[in-house]
Order: sequence, then C-alpha cells, then structure tokens
Amino acid sequence: MLINAYSKAVYNIALNFFADKDIAADVTQDIFLKIYNNLEKFKEEKNFTAWLFTISRNYCIDYWRKNKKYFLTNQELDEKTSAHDPSPEDNSIRDSEIVELRRKIARLEPELRVVLILRDIQDLSYQEIAAKFSIPEGTVKSRINRARLKLTQSFMRGEQ
Amino acid sequence: MIHKCKEIETLISAYLENELSQAESVRVAQHLAACPRCLTLKEKMEDILLKMSDLQEEVPFFLKNRLFNIPDISGKKNAAKIIYFPKWLAAAVGTVILFLNLFYFTNIFPSVNREMHSMVGSVQTFVVRTGGWFEKIKESKNLFLFTFFNKKTSESKAEKIDSDFNLNKELSKGGNNG
Repeated sequence: MLINAYSKAVYNIALNFFADKDIAADVTQDIFLKIYNNLEKFKEEKNFTAWLFTISRNYCIDYWRKNKKYFLTNQELDEKTSAHDPSPEDNSIRDSEIVELRRKIARLEPELRVVLILRDIQDLSYQEIAAKFSIPEGTVKSRINRARLKLTQSFMRGEQ
Repeated sequence: MIHKCKEIETLISAYLENELSQAESVRVAQHLAACPRCLTLKEKMEDILLKMSDLQEEVPFFLKNRLFNIPDISGKKNAAKIIYFPKWLAAAVGTVILFLNLFYFTNIFPSVNREMHSMVGSVQTFVVRTGGWFEKIKESKNLFLFTFFNKKTSESKAEKIDSDFNLNKELSKGGNNG
C-alpha cells in the first residue's frame, strides 16, 4: 500500500528538511493528501516514485518559503539558546548530536538540503536523484558537494 | 596556499566518494598531507557523513494513523465534488431568470414583452387543458372506485342485516323459554 511503502521516505525528507518533528508530521500528512487528491492526474507511463519525490520536494520548499520568517527567527533563537545545551528531551549525547546535525542541515539552502537528504540520509544514487527531479547528474553532484562543504564548515565554525 | 585550499575544499566531497580522476585524487591527497586545516575539514566531513545514516527515523504511530485515514477523507471529498453544483451554472441560471422577469414585467423591449406574454398565455392554455384532462381522469377514477366500493358496501350491509335478523330471532326464542 502507498502509505506503507512511502511514508518513511516522505517523513524523513520532511523531518530533516525542517528539523522539527511536529512540522514534519503536518507536512507529511499534507503531502499524502496532495498525492491522493492528484492520483488521477498521475500518468501511468511515468515513474511513480519520481512523481512522489517531486511533490514532496516542491511542497517542502514551498512550505519553507511561505514560512521563511518563522523558520529564520526560530534558527536565530536556537543559536542564542545554543546547541551545546541539550534540552531535557535530548538526553543522550547521540540524540543531541542528531538534533544539532538536523538544525545545521535545516540552515542550508532548500535546494541543497533536498539533494543532501536524498543522497546521504535516504541513500539514493546521483543518477536516481537526477532522474527523480529531472535535473542533470552534474548539477546533483555539485549541489551535494556544496551542501556537504557548507555543512562541515558550519560545524567547524561552531567548534572554533 | 589559501587559494589552493579553497580549490581543494570543493573537491573533498568527491574525493571521499572516489569520484575524482586519478590525477585529481593524487593532488588532493598530497595537499591533505601538507595542510592540517584541510585535513581536519576532510575528517569532519567523514564524521558527518557517518552520522547522516542515524538521521533516518521511523514514522510515529500517531502519524501513521492519520495517514491511513487520508484515503477516506479524499474519497469523501471527491464524492462531495460530484454532488457540488457549479457556481458559474447557478450564476447563469440566476441571470437568465432575472432577465426573463425584467422582460415580462417591464416594457423596456415591447416586442420581447409581447412575445413573452403570448408565450405565457399559450402555456396557461396548455395547463388549463391538461388540468381538464386530469379532472376527467380523476372523475372516471372516482366513478370506478365509487361503483366498486358501493357494491362492496351493499353486500356487507345485506350480510349485517341478515346477521342482525338472526340474532333477534335467537333472542326472541330465548325470551319465550325464560
């Protein structure tokens, strides 16, 4: 069934895109609602996974752009409260590292974020990502390289 | 050196994935051996990439429940859409009715007004005629029902009279005995 097969992938895109579990849940629900409402428009000769990933990506980027102010303010607040003070929810070191990593990913540009999530978290190949979003493989590679570099540099700046 | 570092930084990700050519790989490796800053960057990137797989999470139970309800919600929505009366059609019908009223009750366009009145007249004639036919059908139906029920009533009346007569007879007999 559709939900069993794809809910994890869509939820993980949203979760790592927004670094917020509540927003990720809402966005995942919206994406599936959109998919169900547009199933008639989907042409069978096309790749369903590619269609689903494109909807997910576009929805995440649109949602982020619409609420950009809110997200940016939140990110500033996070920086002030400092990621080095783990919240009571993030008890273990591993959990706090994950939260920190998610926050850093959420600060990347939306286009870089999506490809990074698909490549390094969802473990998709360059070819698969390129095919899903109908963009050249070279563009995918350069976006991933840039995303990784920016992410690493942001960690290094934090450590200094 | 800094200029070279900038260039090497952009290659580190591809270097970690063995995506570089032999010559480029050697160049990056040589630079990393000589530059502690770029080496730290490379190690940090490796560390981050290892942690990335930990970012996968299972879908929470409450969300799965919500998702499983979506097909029902969207199905109901589609059903509602089928029943839905399009707004443009409602607006068109309303406008037509408005104009017909305007032409009928005012004399802005006398010819149209005349046409409409004659049309309404013919409709009225038709209604009156059909009303007459209905009356006739109704009358004949009543006549039929009256004949049928009247007959039945007279039969039952005769039966009742018979039974009453027998009962009186019995009673009078009993009176004599007593």
